[in-house]
Amino acid sequence: MTTTATLPVSAAQAARQTGLQPRHAVTFRRTVASEWIKLRSLRSAVWSFALIVLVSWGLTLLVSSASEADGSYLTAAEQVEYVFQAATFGVFFGQLVAAVLGVLVISGEYSTGMIRSTLTAVPTRTSVLVAKALVVGVTTFIVALIANFGAFLIAAPLLADQGMHADLFRDSVAAPLTIAALYLSVVAIFALGLGAIVRSSAGGIAAALGAILLLPIAVAMMPFDWTRDIASFLLMNAGMESFGLLVFGMPSGMESWQLILVTCAWAAVTLLVGVVLLKHRDG
Amino acid sequence: MIQIEQLSKRYGAKLAVDNITFTVRPGLVTGFLGPNGAGKSTTMRLVVGLDSPTAGSVTVNGKQYARHRAPLHEVGALLDAKAVHSGRSAYNHLLAMAATHGIGKSRVREVIAMTGLEPVAKKRVAGFSLGMGQRLGIAAALLGDPATVILDEPVNGLDPEGVLWVRHLARQLAAEGRTIFLSSHLMSEMAQTADHLIVLGRGRIIADSPIAEILAAASTKAVRVRTPRAQDLARLVTRDGITVTSVEPDLLTIGGLTPTQVADAAARSSIALHELTPINASLEDAYLALTANDVEYRTEDTR
Repeated sequence: MTTTATLPVSAAQAARQTGLQPRHAVTFRRTVASEWIKLRSLRSAVWSFALIVLVSWGLTLLVSSASEADGSYLTAAEQVEYVFQAATFGVFFGQLVAAVLGVLVISGEYSTGMIRSTLTAVPTRTSVLVAKALVVGVTTFIVALIANFGAFLIAAPLLADQGMHADLFRDSVAAPLTIAALYLSVVAIFALGLGAIVRSSAGGIAAALGAILLLPIAVAMMPFDWTRDIASFLLMNAGMESFGLLVFGMPSGMESWQLILVTCAWAAVTLLVGVVLLKHRDG
Repeated sequence: MIQIEQLSKRYGAKLAVDNITFTVRPGLVTGFLGPNGAGKSTTMRLVVGLDSPTAGSVTVNGKQYARHRAPLHEVGALLDAKAVHSGRSAYNHLLAMAATHGIGKSRVREVIAMTGLEPVAKKRVAGFSLGMGQRLGIAAALLGDPATVILDEPVNGLDPEGVLWVRHLARQLAAEGRTIFLSSHLMSEMAQTADHLIVLGRGRIIADSPIAEILAAASTKAVRVRTPRAQDLARLVTRDGITVTSVEPDLLTIGGLTPTQVADAAARSSIALHELTPINASLEDAYLALTANDVEYRTEDTR
């Protein structure tokens, strides 16, 4: 068959020979896929997520087994509340890990120079930060769900021995446990926005932890009446209250969904400023 | 194809790129030469849209970089060997870059093989040598099989074998009809790789011509002769292809003859020579002469 030898090679062969390949445009979906690969391939991210789960479960285990309360003196609602608090003990710590992680996801790119590779691959820029927020937010949410529900399943049987009964399905704890996970994911996105603004790990982490921890303390120490109104709108105060924990003082009087919106607003503001700066700054 | 028109970039008080215009054409290796701080890297950053120009315009393959829908398929750039997260493996870095354009794993493995990174592909970049980092940067630049390839100081930190490899790669990519734009601060490196040379000094273009022209200008041999009978000697040697210039009454610069030829000619006519100095303008000399007034950081002459 001498004729076959003279036939042009197949399109696929020709493509391979010249190194050509099917060409796809950059899309948001592909940018998200890229950001997911980036997140899962960093040890620091994997460790942060593991830390959120392990510390949450560890603290719950510690608090539940160390508890010497007698549930028989408590009402049914108070018993559920007790178990719930033991299960969400790790959120205080988890929010700090989520904040550090959120900052590092973007500041790590600046400190290593990776951002140049990122921005040449996706020169429209805006979608990079939005994709990061989506990936970090969703992953943190899922990890925090595992942490919170797992912690509840650890606390419930241990505290049942002390006469405190709470059931995941019968008592309405699934919703607040989910909201607590949502809060951690919002904190991660808030910190991501801060990281994009300051472009430095140390500065970003300081700003994020300052806004989360120091701001509520500073406001609580101010001797004015109006500071109490402000306090309810601070990220940590609103976030904790949205799933039923009061960190400082009095309840705000806001509904849970309103408090969730307040926390989301914090993240939206830093993310928006981060996007605008990323779009217009050299780098 | 890279087209740069009246491009300027100012960082604060410093004008890094000062109204430059040039075109980098396909099918050639175009060298971008200049001392450190001349504005080479800035120009390259402007080409791929990392920085925005203060004035002027840059297009790659006919469009502003950011307007390309699949930029990695248009332009591959190695801007900085350290444009990689050091905590990630080479493979995962390339995989993440590839994912933005829907480029498959097979292509990632292909560029890893092309750049000789297989043994370290799964290791974290933090442990890479400068040379390995350069190879990874080049692998990333080739990921999208782009028509235009930009390499900023690609041979930095490479061993001799790596330098040779980059040289061959650049020649091969240009032979495939691609636009190859690579920078260096070493003239000798450029002389062996580039077809065309653009020399930058203090943000301005000093030269923009085929390497052959610059080589020809640089490699002209000349002899400096001091003799009391300068006019006689000049008359004696003057013919086609020989240039004779006189700076002082008894001093001649004769181009196109070797010192031996000059001495023999003088001996035949019993002309006494008081000085006979070969002038070998090297490539480095030509480059230094070009950039003498445009060096950003200069060491003071020791006295």
